[in-house]
Amino acid sequence: MRLKHLTARVFGNGGMIFAAVAPVLAVLVAFPLLFVILQAVFPDIARGIFANPFSRFVETLFDKHLFHWTLNTLMLGGSVVLVSALVAVPLGVLRGLFRIPFAGLWDVVFLVPFTIPPYIAALGWIMALQPRGYLEQITGINFGGFLFSFWGVVFVMTLNVFPVVYFAVSRMVASIGGRYLEAARVAGCPPMRSFWRITLPLTTPAIAASLLLVFAMAIEEFGTPAALAARSGFLVLVTGIEQRLSDYPIDLPGASLLSVILVLIAMVAFMVQNRIVSRRDFQTVSGKPGAMRPAELGAWRIPVVVFFAVIGFLSAAMPILSVVLTASTRTISGGLAADNFSTDNFAEIFANSGGAMEALGTSLLLGLGAALITGILGTMTAYVVVRQRTVSSRILDFLTLMPNTIPGVVVAVGLILAWNQPWLPITPYNTIGILVLAYCCLLLPYPVRYANAALRQVSVSLEDAARVAGAGGIKVFFRILMPLIFPSILAAMLLVFAVAARELVATILLAPIGTKTVALFIWRQFEQGSVGMGMAMSVMAIAITMTIPVAVAIWARKQGRLF
Amino acid sequence: MVSAENSTLQTGSPVIATGVSQRFGSNTVLKTIDLRVAPGEVVALLGPSGCGKTTLLRLLAGLSRPTTGSIHIGDQLVADARGGAFVPPERRSIGMVFQDYALWPHMTVAQNVGFPLEMQGIGRAERDSRIAEALGLVGLGHLADRQPGTLSGGQQQRVALARAIVSRPRLVLFDEPLSNLDRELRESLVVDIASLLRKLGMTAVYVTHDHGEAFAIADRVAILHSGNILQIDAPEQLVGNPSSPIVVDFLKLGLVLPAEVSNGDLVIRGGMHRLSPPAGLVNGSRTGDLFLPRSALVASGTGGGVASGNAISGTVVHSMFRGDGYAVQMRFDHDIALEMFSTTRLGEGTIHDLDISWDRAFWYPHEDVQTHPTHNS
Repeated sequence: MRLKHLTARVFGNGGMIFAAVAPVLAVLVAFPLLFVILQAVFPDIARGIFANPFSRFVETLFDKHLFHWTLNTLMLGGSVVLVSALVAVPLGVLRGLFRIPFAGLWDVVFLVPFTIPPYIAALGWIMALQPRGYLEQITGINFGGFLFSFWGVVFVMTLNVFPVVYFAVSRMVASIGGRYLEAARVAGCPPMRSFWRITLPLTTPAIAASLLLVFAMAIEEFGTPAALAARSGFLVLVTGIEQRLSDYPIDLPGASLLSVILVLIAMVAFMVQNRIVSRRDFQTVSGKPGAMRPAELGAWRIPVVVFFAVIGFLSAAMPILSVVLTASTRTISGGLAADNFSTDNFAEIFANSGGAMEALGTSLLLGLGAALITGILGTMTAYVVVRQRTVSSRILDFLTLMPNTIPGVVVAVGLILAWNQPWLPITPYNTIGILVLAYCCLLLPYPVRYANAALRQVSVSLEDAARVAGAGGIKVFFRILMPLIFPSILAAMLLVFAVAARELVATILLAPIGTKTVALFIWRQFEQGSVGMGMAMSVMAIAITMTIPVAVAIWARKQGRLF
Repeated sequence: MVSAENSTLQTGSPVIATGVSQRFGSNTVLKTIDLRVAPGEVVALLGPSGCGKTTLLRLLAGLSRPTTGSIHIGDQLVADARGGAFVPPERRSIGMVFQDYALWPHMTVAQNVGFPLEMQGIGRAERDSRIAEALGLVGLGHLADRQPGTLSGGQQQRVALARAIVSRPRLVLFDEPLSNLDRELRESLVVDIASLLRKLGMTAVYVTHDHGEAFAIADRVAILHSGNILQIDAPEQLVGNPSSPIVVDFLKLGLVLPAEVSNGDLVIRGGMHRLSPPAGLVNGSRTGDLFLPRSALVASGTGGGVASGNAISGTVVHSMFRGDGYAVQMRFDHDIALEMFSTTRLGEGTIHDLDISWDRAFWYPHEDVQTHPTHNS
C-alpha cells in the first residue's frame, strides 16, 4: 500500500504504464546509444573493459578521413538543401497561390517519391543514365559521368526529398492566402508587393523548417551515396561508418566516433528546426483558409504546367519506369529490344531463386513485428506524455523522440556494440531479433508522434465523462480512447511497416549471416550482377509499400468506424 | 478611448452603388441592389447569415467584382460591370476591419498600423507620428512594439481599427468586427467605434447580424434578406415603421399573424381567433399579415376582449426572472411565439388575454393591390 502511494507520487497517475514502458525504452533506445558514446571514449569497451579512456581518441580524431568525410557530409547536405529549395519553393508557392491545371494530380505525383526507397531510385537512375543505359539507347546521350559524381548524388537525392519542402510550402502559402492578403490589398499593397511583404515572410519558417528536415534526411542517407559515389571514392560519414564496420580490420572506435559526429550534426539540424517550428509568429498563423480563390495563371499556364510535369516525371515516373523496364527485360545487354522483354525475372522471384521468397517473407514479418511493437509502445508512451505532465513523462518523451535524430547507421553501430558485450547472459545478436530491435528503435518516433497528436485532440472531459458513467481506467482506455485514436495509430503503424520492410543500412550491418530481407536481396543482386532479379524484387517492394497502405485505408473507410 | 483632439480631419466620401448584383455560377448571392451612403454617414448592413451582406461589403472593398451594376466611391468609378472598369482594392483608398482581425503576425503592432502609410510612400517621421496618433485614438499607444499574437482579442481588434483609419481613408468597411469577442467587450467597443467614426467624420459601412450592434453604430440600417435590401432607414424608423413582416420577424418587434379578411373581420389562419379591427386598417385587401408591436399588446384585466375581437389569447410557455420583471414566452395559435415583458410571474400553461391597441397595429396585405403597409393612425 505504501509502495503504491510512493510510486503514484513519483510517477503520477500513469505510474503503471510508466513502470511498464520505461525499462523497454531503456533497452531499446538508451542502451545502444549509450554504447556508441562509451565506445568513442573507451577503446576496449567491446571486451567489456573501461580501460585507457581517450587513448585512441586523438588518433581517431585526427584521422584525415574523418575531416574529409565530415566535410563531404556537410557539402552533400547543403547542396541537397540548395537544389531542393530551388525546385520545391517555386513549385510550392505556385501551387499555393495559383490555380494550377491538374493540381490534385501533382500532389499525388509528388507523394510517389516517398514510396520509392531511395536506394531503389538510385539503382533505377543508374540503369537509365549509365553508359549504354536507357537514355543512351533512346537518345544517344550518356549522362554516366554526371550521375556517378557528387552532383549526381545531389540530383538523385533531391528528387527523393524535395516533396517535403513542396508540401510544407504549398500548404503554408495557401493558408496564409485569404485574409492576410486581403488585408494587405485593402491597405494599399499591390499583389506582387503583397507576396514579398506578407506571403514570403510568413512562409519563411515553413521553408526553413522543411529544408532542415531535408538536410537531416540527406546526411543520414546511405543507399544513394553508396550506390552512386562510393566507387569513385566519394564517401560521406554514413558510407564511411559502413566501410569501417565491413572492411577488415574492423574499426569500432573509429565507427563510433564518426557516429557521434554524425549524430551531433543531425541533432543541431533538428534543434534549429524545432526552434523555428515552435516560434510564436509561426504558430499564430491560423490555418483558417480564407475565402480567397487561387489566382489565374494566364499566359504562364503552359510553362508552369511543363515545370510541374518535368519535375513530376523526373521524381516519380523516371525511377519507377527504369526499375520496371530492367525487371522486365531478359538481359541488360539486350537493351530495349522487343525480343528482350520477358517475365523471366518475376518467374525467378516466385521460384524462390536466390532465396527471394524467403527474403520477402522475412521482410513482411519484420515489418509486421516492428509495426505491432512500436504501435503498442508508442500508444502507451503517448498516453503518459500527453495526460501526465511530470518529469517521468518528459523522460519518456525524450527517449521515444530521440531516435528521430539518430541515423540508421548509428543505431546499427550502437546495437552491435551493446549486444556484443561479453557480460550479457543472453543476446539477440546474430538472430533476427536484432533487426526487430533496430527497426523499433529507429521507427518508434512515428507512432509516438501520431498517437500524441491524436490524443491531444481527445478532450480530457471525454474520459472524465466515461469515468462518471462508471467505467474504470482500463475500460476508459479501450472503450473511449482507443476507438478515437486508433485510425492515427494505424496510419503510423502502416508507415512503420512500409519503412521497416525495406530498410537498408541497419539491415546490411546487423542481419545475421544467411538471413535475407528484401533490401538485402536487392542490394546483393545488384552488386553481384543479377540486376534484373534485383529490380523485379524492387518492383514488388514498391508495389507492397504503395498498395498495402491504400488497401488498409479503403478498408478502414468501409468500416466507417473501427470498433 | 477617443482622446486625441483633431480639428481638421477630412470627411469621408460618398458611396453610390447602382444596380449591383453578384452571381456565382447559377447561384445569385446578391440581387440588383442600390445603395447610397452620404459623406460621413455610417450605414449598417444587417441580416441573417447568407443574406448577401458580406458579399456587398466585398464588392465595395474590391475583393470581388460585381456581375452587374456600378460602384462609385467619391468621384471615382471603382467598378462597372458593363464598361469593365475595375479598381483593385489597393487603389481604392479604403480601410477595412476583418472579423478575424487579420493582423500580420510577423509585424509588430506599429508596423501593422503603419503599413497602409508605407504603401502610400509616406516618410518615416510622418508615419511614426500618425501611427502614434492612430494608436492613441484607440487607446493602445503603449502597445506599439508588441507582437499582435501577444494581445487579447479586444486589443487585436483595436489595432485592426487603428490600421483601418490611420491613412484617413475615404471609406471604412467593417466585416462583423466584433463577432469573435464576448458580449461585454462587444458592447463597449461598439460605442468606441461609433464615437471614433463620428469624430473623424468617416464614411463607413458596417456588416453585422446583431441588431443591437447595428442600432448602436449606424445612422441608417439596411436590412438584407436573400440578396435584397428590404428596408434602409434610421433605427427609430425601422422599429417604428417596419416595411415588411420579414423585417418585423428579423428584428423581433412583435406578433406577426397571417390572416384572412372576412366581412371586415380578420380570421387568423390556422386558429380560432377572429379579430375586429377598425375600418380602414385592412383597406380592401383579402389576405395579409397583421403586425402587432409589443406596445400594442397589453395584458387584459377584464376579459371579454376576445369575444369582442379586440384581444388575443395565448398560452404561457415559460416565465423567466430578469431582475426588473419577467420575460414571458407566450405561444399563440399557429405555433407563433412571442417574448413579452411582465411585472408579475405568469404561471406556465396558463392562458392570458392580451388587449390590442388597434391604433398601433399594422397590416401588410398579400395582394399587389397596395404595396405599402397601411397603418391606422
